[in-house]
Amino acid sequence: MPRMTELTLTELAEKANVTRRTIRYYIQQGLLPSPEATGRGAHYDQGYVDRLRLIKKLKDAHLPLAEIRARIGRLSDEEIRNLLNAPAKPSPTSAREYIRSVLEEGAVPSMSVSMPDALAFRETTVSEPPVQSRWQRYTLDPDIEIHVRRPLSRHKNEILSELLDAVRELLEKGERS
Amino acid sequence: MTMFDARTDRRLVQSRARSDRYVQVRLVAPPSLQSEARPRVNVAFVLDRSGSMGGGKIELAKEALRQALGQLAERDRFSVVFYDDKIDVVVESTAVTSEARRNALARIAMVQARGTTNLAEGWLTGADQAARHDGEQFVNRCLLLTDGLANRGITDVAELERHAGELRKRGISTTTFGVGADFDEHLLRRMANAGGGNFYFIEDPAQIPDFLTSELGEALEVVARDVRVVVEAPGDLIIESLTPVIGRERTDGVWTFGLGDLASRQEVDCVLRLNFPRGVDGHEVIARFRVEDREDAFPLDEEELGWTYADHRSNHAQERDVEVDRRVAAVFASLARTEAMLLNRSGDYDAARKKLLGVARRIRSYANGDRELERIAAALEHEAQEAIHPLMEYERKNVVFEANSMLRSRDWRGRARRRHE
Repeated sequence: MPRMTELTLTELAEKANVTRRTIRYYIQQGLLPSPEATGRGAHYDQGYVDRLRLIKKLKDAHLPLAEIRARIGRLSDEEIRNLLNAPAKPSPTSAREYIRSVLEEGAVPSMSVSMPDALAFRETTVSEPPVQSRWQRYTLDPDIEIHVRRPLSRHKNEILSELLDAVRELLEKGERS
Repeated sequence: MTMFDARTDRRLVQSRARSDRYVQVRLVAPPSLQSEARPRVNVAFVLDRSGSMGGGKIELAKEALRQALGQLAERDRFSVVFYDDKIDVVVESTAVTSEARRNALARIAMVQARGTTNLAEGWLTGADQAARHDGEQFVNRCLLLTDGLANRGITDVAELERHAGELRKRGISTTTFGVGADFDEHLLRRMANAGGGNFYFIEDPAQIPDFLTSELGEALEVVARDVRVVVEAPGDLIIESLTPVIGRERTDGVWTFGLGDLASRQEVDCVLRLNFPRGVDGHEVIARFRVEDREDAFPLDEEELGWTYADHRSNHAQERDVEVDRRVAAVFASLARTEAMLLNRSGDYDAARKKLLGVARRIRSYANGDRELERIAAALEHEAQEAIHPLMEYERKNVVFEANSMLRSRDWRGRARRRHE
């Protein structure tokens, strides 16, 4: 019977209820550390089991793997255990809480487990104005600039390209003469 | 069977201007294995009982419910809400035992059509019923059937759409069924797309049972929940999805697009637009694509695509992946049709025509003699002529339903496309 600190990949997979392939992938993606390799092959300890449980918990909270890696990639075994055992902290509102707030108060709580830079769902129609637009300046000459608001449609990008080429050519011609 | 692949329309990008390039990500969900028990379903039926549902429609809705109950097993859960301006929880969330079934059928039989329509409260009450017993192992879904407008309570389309999205984030998805000519197809399609469910237009009430049982059947065959297309790309690339997604999120250089739950062997195309900054001739940009889901049903491989910066002339002369061109053109055509129907409905006929012609013109500019692309452009041009007249409600609804189904990779009846062995 193997000691708790030494599980094979197969035993780890069984204990954590994931496939071996998933474990290898998580290692490759940096969600799990590389295992200690002895002469008999790689061995895994309880820390791996805990990490896998925490990964599952975060996946169920709809976090993508990149975010999970950012959160737990560098934590120690003890920190991982603490996170796993932590009481359900001010968790994001549940569906029932959300519904209640809409029907009773008309207030709209947002999920506190939100990903940074989360962009709310929006209708994507071709004519909708862009989420962010900014003006970009092309300096062609100390006295001549072209200002363009990005993003531009493909057609306008083509026009702009030709316009820039044409102006540059004219300026060069002017210099030579 | 390849479960996902990613292709792009063109491999060169402009060095001295920003470029848009398109990527088609095609997913095929794995088949459900015979040995595995199917997922448990937790469904809330929310049915309109307002006055207009009288005279046959409500009886058909009840018949649909009877058939749907027959599809469920004891390990599933269901609840039934009927609404007009009053909300009645006719069956509280319960497991599907024989006794529960009998009681439910008896209560449902007694429901009659009556008042006006508080769609928002009816829907949210149903979602609440589902939420009482939502579990990690369940597919939790609220099925909303209406023949009318939301004319009491919350009626704003954008607000209801937002609530549908928030509920989806909290594990409850929403599917909508619109019956007849008087409901708001834009409201229902937006709620369904944001809510991670499906939108159906039921032209003939006699089809109500068919549509309901088909949707429920699909929920009973879900093999992958919360499917997401994940893209890792350099920070200065801007990525959007042209096809409807449940939220677009970005963390560091990683973009995530939600596609919802997929059923056994279901095929979905997600079309992304990548906007590239300017760059240096010869320099390469790489993006990595993968698919994630809660069950790890999709393989964990990555597909890599690369683009190379080049001058304007090389860009102009480059090869195109015509399959991707066709898919992108079809997507733009569907988006244009949807918007044109909205404009036609509000009487803005000239704008509707211009919208359709504008997209046709763009498609012709890169069609290069391809028959399919020319055909898509010609169809839009034809429709542009029709759009200057006020169209009939049924016509508009059919166009919107078909366009939405195309964007969601579903067939003309709104059903999921499945790959056959």
